[in-house]
Amino acid sequence: MSGTLTRPAETAATPSGPSAAQARPASRGQALRRHLGNEDLWTRATAPVALVVLVIVFSILNPRFLSWASLTSMLADSTIPIVLALGATFAVTLAGIDLSLASTVALGSVTMGLAYDAGLPMWVCAFVALFTGLVVGAFNGAIIGWGRIPDFIVTLGTMSLVMGVGLITSQGKPVQMPDASLSFVSVHGIGGIRYNFLIAIALGVLLHVVLFHTRFGMHLLAVGDNTDASKAMALRVSRVKLAGYVICGGMGGVGAILLTSYIGSSQPATNTDYLLRAIAAVVLGGVSLFGGRATMVGPIIGAILLTFLQSGLTLLGVSAFYSPLLIGIVVIAAALLMRGRK
Amino acid sequence: MSAAKVEVRDVRKTFGSVEALRGASLSIAQGEITAIVGDNGAGKSTLVKCITGLIPPDTGDILVDGSPVHFSSPKDARDHGIETVYQDLALCDQLSVWQNLYLDRELTRGFGPVQFLRRRQMRSEAHRLVSDLAVNVPHVGRPVRRLSGGQRQAVAIARGVMWARGMIVLDEPTAALGLRETAQVEGLIRRVVDAGQTVLVVSHNFEQVKRLSSQVWVMRAGAVVTGVRTADVTGEELVGLVTGAITAV
Repeated sequence: MSGTLTRPAETAATPSGPSAAQARPASRGQALRRHLGNEDLWTRATAPVALVVLVIVFSILNPRFLSWASLTSMLADSTIPIVLALGATFAVTLAGIDLSLASTVALGSVTMGLAYDAGLPMWVCAFVALFTGLVVGAFNGAIIGWGRIPDFIVTLGTMSLVMGVGLITSQGKPVQMPDASLSFVSVHGIGGIRYNFLIAIALGVLLHVVLFHTRFGMHLLAVGDNTDASKAMALRVSRVKLAGYVICGGMGGVGAILLTSYIGSSQPATNTDYLLRAIAAVVLGGVSLFGGRATMVGPIIGAILLTFLQSGLTLLGVSAFYSPLLIGIVVIAAALLMRGRK
Repeated sequence: MSAAKVEVRDVRKTFGSVEALRGASLSIAQGEITAIVGDNGAGKSTLVKCITGLIPPDTGDILVDGSPVHFSSPKDARDHGIETVYQDLALCDQLSVWQNLYLDRELTRGFGPVQFLRRRQMRSEAHRLVSDLAVNVPHVGRPVRRLSGGQRQAVAIARGVMWARGMIVLDEPTAALGLRETAQVEGLIRRVVDAGQTVLVVSHNFEQVKRLSSQVWVMRAGAVVTGVRTADVTGEELVGLVTGAITAV
């Protein structure tokens, strides 16, 4: 502090004071202080801290909240939000968004139902759902990458288009899929933790490796950060975008499989709540909406946080009508907290 | 003058109804610093982008080491050993210094198509490189957005130096820098040339052109109007050539 006071003229002349100060090599103490004042740390800590606070508050209000049965059931509930948040992270990292994610889930479950009706084995049905998601993602990515149309508009169009295809092919009727192998992952687990949740976490680990330990991941971060610089560095921007949206759509397909497994039938009607929660989890998880900065852990915790919030309120007897309101407040608060952190 | 590293012959480029380059020709001698000067809109940046592969010219020839080349991407120029430090630096702010240095040239290990980044190795080699260049960059693990203007410039130049195999093109390398940082960058450019590289520098700063370059080409209205040995021209004469007040020395 005294250092800056001794040279008031210079401080006044340079509006970029903090960055000029950083130009000098810092001592260990200064480095620590800077680390604690580092906004990245706070951005990343938001979701875990909020989750801990929420768990403490709810378990004080109702001790049953923290029972093993309740905990594992809530984690199972968070499976689909986690998977969709993982996918949405790839779109958001590209400084984009995928509004068609929820309708991709619906279409995936419809195509899975069609495959089931055709008498195909269950693993083929699941593959059909995944493939549907990949195709929707490829469609989005191709138009965004080569058509040079803003992602918001493209995926808004795809949202309606995919919803329409799902409704037409299914005639709006769900297909019942009473199949033990399908419901297996939603019912069984290890020590009470269901397989569907473990699958979601495994996908999170896989996508973490993809994002932070492969060339593609580094290129994805670079393209999301600065498209012009990426072009100057000869990155194939359109292809990177395509691949990012394919992963996002693929997660929509996985979401469709898990949803179908969970409720035992296809679900032709789009549940827009899934989209909202996926984006909310990504924002809560500290992924920059301006692109280029991401984590995989953050959105997972964000998705668990939102699910716990909803379940906790239900446990306390708060009407389900309040949950969209509360999720909306949480999202806007999180976005405000991370405002300007570009 | 020694052999030409790059020769540009009658290059033209039109954007819609704007003729950015209307027949630009120049040559860049091997192993020395060549400067391009000119007023805003004279076509300097467009010409540089043609040489570095970011914009393909409409017509005209570009020769590297005597053989004609047709760059359709910066990668093509890179494959010919030409690195570029763009005016906007082309850095990704959220990525760390080492990530920017290795972008698109990452070191990996693995089997066949399954390749993983050698993060630690890239980080330590980036650290060594940055220390060798004696540029004032605090920590290669920091995101570039946390660096000062001079440090960012140093990172962009370090990237060029690190990968160049023959030539570095610098577009306005010191436009955003203070006096001390400018001197550092100029020192770095001289060391690059001493190491045997060819340098092309675009600059607004005539004093800098006088200090650094051996040859200077003057651009006006999309054409290269004259080229002189820097030693044969004064700063005032350069101003006159750029504005068109005088046509030859």
